Amino acid sequence: MKALSSTTRERIDLLARAYPRLFPRAELLRLVRGQLGHVDALDRWIRRESAHVRARSPRLIYHICAGNLAVSTMTSIAHGLLVGAQNVVKLPGPREDDATRREITAFVRGLPMQLRKLVRLQSGRDEKTMQRADIVIAFGSDATMATLRAQLRPDQKFIAHGHAVSLLWIDRPEHLTATELRACATDVLTYDQLGCLSPQAIYLSPGHDVEALGRKLAHALETQWHRLNAKPSRPLGVRARIAEARDVAWALGHRMWLPPSGHLGWTLMHDPDPAFAASPLHGIISIRISSAVELEKNLNTVRGRISTVGVAGVASSSPWREPFLKLGVSRFCRAGRMQFPPLSWHHDGRAPLGELVTWMDDETTS
Amino acid sequence: MNFPRDFSRPTERRAWIAALLGPLPGKRWEELALELFAWQFARVPEFRRLCEGHDVTPARLRSWSEIPAMPQQLFKRARLFAHRDATPQSVYETSGTTTGEPGRQYLLRTDIYEAVAVEGARRAGFFEDAPDFHFIATSPHEAPHSSLSAMFGFWNRAMTRGRGRFAMDERGFATLRHDLARARRPVALCGTAFGFVHFLDALPAPLPLPRGSRLLETGGFKGRVREIPKPELYAQLARTFCVPESAIWNEYGMSELSSQAYAHGTGGLHATPPWARVLVVDPATGHEVSVGHEGLVRWIDLANVDSVLSLQTLDRAERTSRGFRLIGRLPRTEPRGCSLGAEDLLTPALPVSSIA
Repeated sequence: MKALSSTTRERIDLLARAYPRLFPRAELLRLVRGQLGHVDALDRWIRRESAHVRARSPRLIYHICAGNLAVSTMTSIAHGLLVGAQNVVKLPGPREDDATRREITAFVRGLPMQLRKLVRLQSGRDEKTMQRADIVIAFGSDATMATLRAQLRPDQKFIAHGHAVSLLWIDRPEHLTATELRACATDVLTYDQLGCLSPQAIYLSPGHDVEALGRKLAHALETQWHRLNAKPSRPLGVRARIAEARDVAWALGHRMWLPPSGHLGWTLMHDPDPAFAASPLHGIISIRISSAVELEKNLNTVRGRISTVGVAGVASSSPWREPFLKLGVSRFCRAGRMQFPPLSWHHDGRAPLGELVTWMDDETTS
Repeated sequence: MNFPRDFSRPTERRAWIAALLGPLPGKRWEELALELFAWQFARVPEFRRLCEGHDVTPARLRSWSEIPAMPQQLFKRARLFAHRDATPQSVYETSGTTTGEPGRQYLLRTDIYEAVAVEGARRAGFFEDAPDFHFIATSPHEAPHSSLSAMFGFWNRAMTRGRGRFAMDERGFATLRHDLARARRPVALCGTAFGFVHFLDALPAPLPLPRGSRLLETGGFKGRVREIPKPELYAQLARTFCVPESAIWNEYGMSELSSQAYAHGTGGLHATPPWARVLVVDPATGHEVSVGHEGLVRWIDLANVDSVLSLQTLDRAERTSRGFRLIGRLPRTEPRGCSLGAEDLLTPALPVSSIA
């Protein structure tokens, strides 16, 4: 990999030109300004209060990708590029469906040469490079994170994105507009529900007509499914999980709404158990009923692991945030935006660029 | 609804065993399957709801192959027992490696299980030449909830009048090693794959078995720490016990079923006894895949009287013209990056300071 020879502004331009929808220029500028205080903070001394400060980029970032979703790795690489670091990316291992590997590879190939030379892809884990890295960013289970942490030098920064879940919270379903229903369906079906920002359950406050909500959501899911340009694949393992989830729901007598043609795009059910249970994903979502005060108990198994709560039909006066805050939720957004956080989003509560840089202070010029 | 048979009565159960072990031409098989289906449909609410979900009722059913199959997972979440108020004689538990919660198979009595477990192995040819039996497994007395130990116990009673040895620890292995070294007649040594691995580890030197001996492994490794690929395990077993690989059998069964399928050698095809059938299905349609294609194993087991006769597994297999070739189990979960799965819920979140 070649050494860095561009400015932050140049890298922003290059990235935005290559991927204008994923990384719009204005948003990249806002991100750098918001995180580093000035868009040129990596390139020259910036006056800040009584001193001049300058951000220092890490030399090498080692990224260990999530196996299920390319977008989190793409964002991670983009952050590394913005700060001008060299990036070594350990791709997920080969699997039945290699879409993630392919997408990440295509993303890197689509970068302009000046940025591409800062990225190297690897199939297997390269201990030596990992040891040399200033920062290791990894996605995976807590056990994997703990193992990796133990292998790193004390002075290496480790940014661990452990497993997490997200939820939709609907307060007054009878007030949901068609747009909000469509937004809920978008959240469920985007990325085939595979990311930590994908809702794994829809929580509904009690005393509402579940049947009516289910009917409306089913309609929205079906419409959204047909709108998807690229339908997610359904290899044997995925078909098996979906069929199993549906059969379990039938056998337990749960109310279920299915696509009219029986396709495997989405499955909506009402699980009378309010306690959270992980979804088999791939468009399988359960409505669970819980009052706001009972949420803490019903979500106790995922305490500290809830990433995002998408909300719909919520009255501004309702104290719905409190129980989620006690559960450690780090992001709230409107339904429909769960999977599309702004670039400045604090993933797992961290500043995306701020975490990557260190600072130099020059007080002689003050 | 009146049924010709009441499976809670010992005489009816004996008659059912006789029917299963007797001649079973296609039409007779179909009759028995539909009869058992109707009985369980009326008595197991979860099964009835599953079937109604698929728009299948006894009145509408045209063929046994249309019977919906109960997902294995349901045995963890419901009491699938056709004799609601009766006390089961035995409750067999699955290993519970996936979610931590074991599945449970309730048997009113073990009579049918014993009859088909013994007769199934006999008809597969595993009992040929009446070998002496030994088991690398916990005894049925020590493991009353293990269907495998129960089956080995049935074999032990049927074939060696209870003289076979059960060994699963260092002391037991030492005695077993001593017995095997002195064996002069063919031996049938049966155990789980991980049990064999431990036994191999405990052997200081090869232990040639008398000519005509055979090994039977079952159960895979089920989440054990140490796993050995099947070809490697078979090669090691063949070398250590001086038996041809064709004398190494695999038994494919599960706690939720009463019948078993058998295969020889590493690439052997599995075959079921006449009273059980396996369909290799596409889970999305429930229809059998074409010969040469891969699908999931679905059992229809006429001996599984006390719960449900049809079971949908997550075991991958290739359908062949002469049986099915097991490929392996689907991974416990999908590949996940940052998304939390069921197995993660079993472990508390690490405090942020310890991972960041």
